[in-house]
Amino acid sequence: MILEANNLTKSFGLRKAVNNLSLEIPNGSVYGFLGPNGSGKSTTIRIMTALISPDVGEVFINGNSIQKNGSKALSDVGALIERADFHKHLSARTNLKMLARMDGTDFSAIQKVLDRTGLGDRANDKVKTYSQGMKQRLGIAQALMGNPKLLILDEPTNGLDPEGMKEIRDLVGELSSEGITIFISSHLLDEVQKICSHIAMISLGELITSGKIEDLLRDSEILMTEIHVDQTKKAMNLLSNYKWIHRCDVKEGILRVSLVENKISEVVNILVQNNILVSAIIPKTSLEDLYLSKMEINRKV
Amino acid sequence: MLSLIHNELLVITGRWRSYIGFIGISILMPLILWGFAYGSESLQNDYARGFEGSFMIVGSIINAFLATYIIMNALWIHIPFLITLAAGDAVAADGSNGIFRLTLIRPVSRLKILLSKLLASYIYAAALVIFCAFWSLGIGSMVLGTGDLIVIDNGILILNETEAWLRMFLSFSLAIIVMCMVSTLCFMFSSMVNNGIGPIIGAMFLIIVGYIIIAIPLDFFRRIEPYVFVSYFNVWLDAFKDPIPWILIGKKLSVLITYSLLFFGISAFVFLNKDIKS
Repeated sequence: MILEANNLTKSFGLRKAVNNLSLEIPNGSVYGFLGPNGSGKSTTIRIMTALISPDVGEVFINGNSIQKNGSKALSDVGALIERADFHKHLSARTNLKMLARMDGTDFSAIQKVLDRTGLGDRANDKVKTYSQGMKQRLGIAQALMGNPKLLILDEPTNGLDPEGMKEIRDLVGELSSEGITIFISSHLLDEVQKICSHIAMISLGELITSGKIEDLLRDSEILMTEIHVDQTKKAMNLLSNYKWIHRCDVKEGILRVSLVENKISEVVNILVQNNILVSAIIPKTSLEDLYLSKMEINRKV
Repeated sequence: MLSLIHNELLVITGRWRSYIGFIGISILMPLILWGFAYGSESLQNDYARGFEGSFMIVGSIINAFLATYIIMNALWIHIPFLITLAAGDAVAADGSNGIFRLTLIRPVSRLKILLSKLLASYIYAAALVIFCAFWSLGIGSMVLGTGDLIVIDNGILILNETEAWLRMFLSFSLAIIVMCMVSTLCFMFSSMVNNGIGPIIGAMFLIIVGYIIIAIPLDFFRRIEPYVFVSYFNVWLDAFKDPIPWILIGKKLSVLITYSLLFFGISAFVFLNKDIKS
């Protein structure tokens, strides 16, 4: 494991932002960190990067405790936490030089990371002339500067247009293929499913589930099924009355039902008995379905 | 550590606020020097009145040394404000601008980062005092010339030119130490908040309260005066006493340094335990 977080707990006043959270991030993985707003994702990431001290618990990076030996632990880490904020009155190159001095990184690395993030031509421009997307790319550039083994990205696609998002996604793919472990927090479940090998979901500061995406989708009790019927509205109203059906909605004219797997036949039976014609049943569990179902269950609990 | 200080100096020199002090001095000093050069007759009369019965004055006693001595007497209350303009932002601005999210995640200890910021603000304070000296002594000696320095304190002290240069050097050196202490005070407030204005107001408030306490001759104020750090700010004046009261200067400096260490200790405690949430 490149990162182990053990029993992290952090409170702000009476509110517990993170509650007994443990995570293990395998070497070489692309690890998605999911949760609704205010679930404790940012606090967890800030604990992992020594910006916030936990009340209880410890984070180890390559066996070095962030809390006890922060400098050594952070020498393997590159991170972009939320927005990329730089000294606006200085150029991108000067900003990166300042950070390189702190890392002990050779200045020759600066042009490489600027080129890699598509900012090579604007390196000498002041950051205040940059768009939000360019600042975000500069944020990723600074994270890559010290050749990190672990890259922590907190909402890296925030403020980016679709093209920018794709660039980041491609970059994450490239970095992962080079063996860099990537821990990425995002609201964009589709993006996460495309690029991540593992995920962890948290809600109200507590871990809901974690593991390989394929394992989680395969082992999930929840199955999202597309059911092609002739009367979608009637079918939706009918199925919404059953408590064991977690979610039921219509998307692009197709009924989508989230339910426990062994109850598919029961659903079909109900529909047929109510004179609704069923023409196809297609299992289609996505990460979004898994996420929404888990969050729904957690809310009910 | 040097590379960290280099970083901090880049930040300070990149902020327009850092130049307010230098611009202010550059506007004020030529005016004052012009005033000394062309309107010093009444000043010479006032100044010489104290010793005209004992000495016969030939020529002008107004020169760069006397001008500097008078300027320092007038400005030692105002220079701290200029110093706080840089020190107030030293830590707070990085918090409010989100820069800590880039710097505190790097393999450098927080204490080193904090110390580099403090030392950079010391360099700024020293630069401002030296700039003041450059104008009043450097440009002043070209405009007003040099000569003996006549100081009226508890008696009359006449220092020849060589001695006057040495005393001025000592005096400005002591002024730098005082201004570094002011920096540390403002720095302490800066490490507590995420807004550069609060520390400036906080530090100036304490300094002004100190000035009031030492200016009003009440018994209660006299009793607490030894504990008011502002009452040691005038240590630079001791450079113009004869003989130079080294023990007194040493005592005053040790009090100022002790306060500086206390303020930095508080800054370090706050900063090392600070959660970066913004």
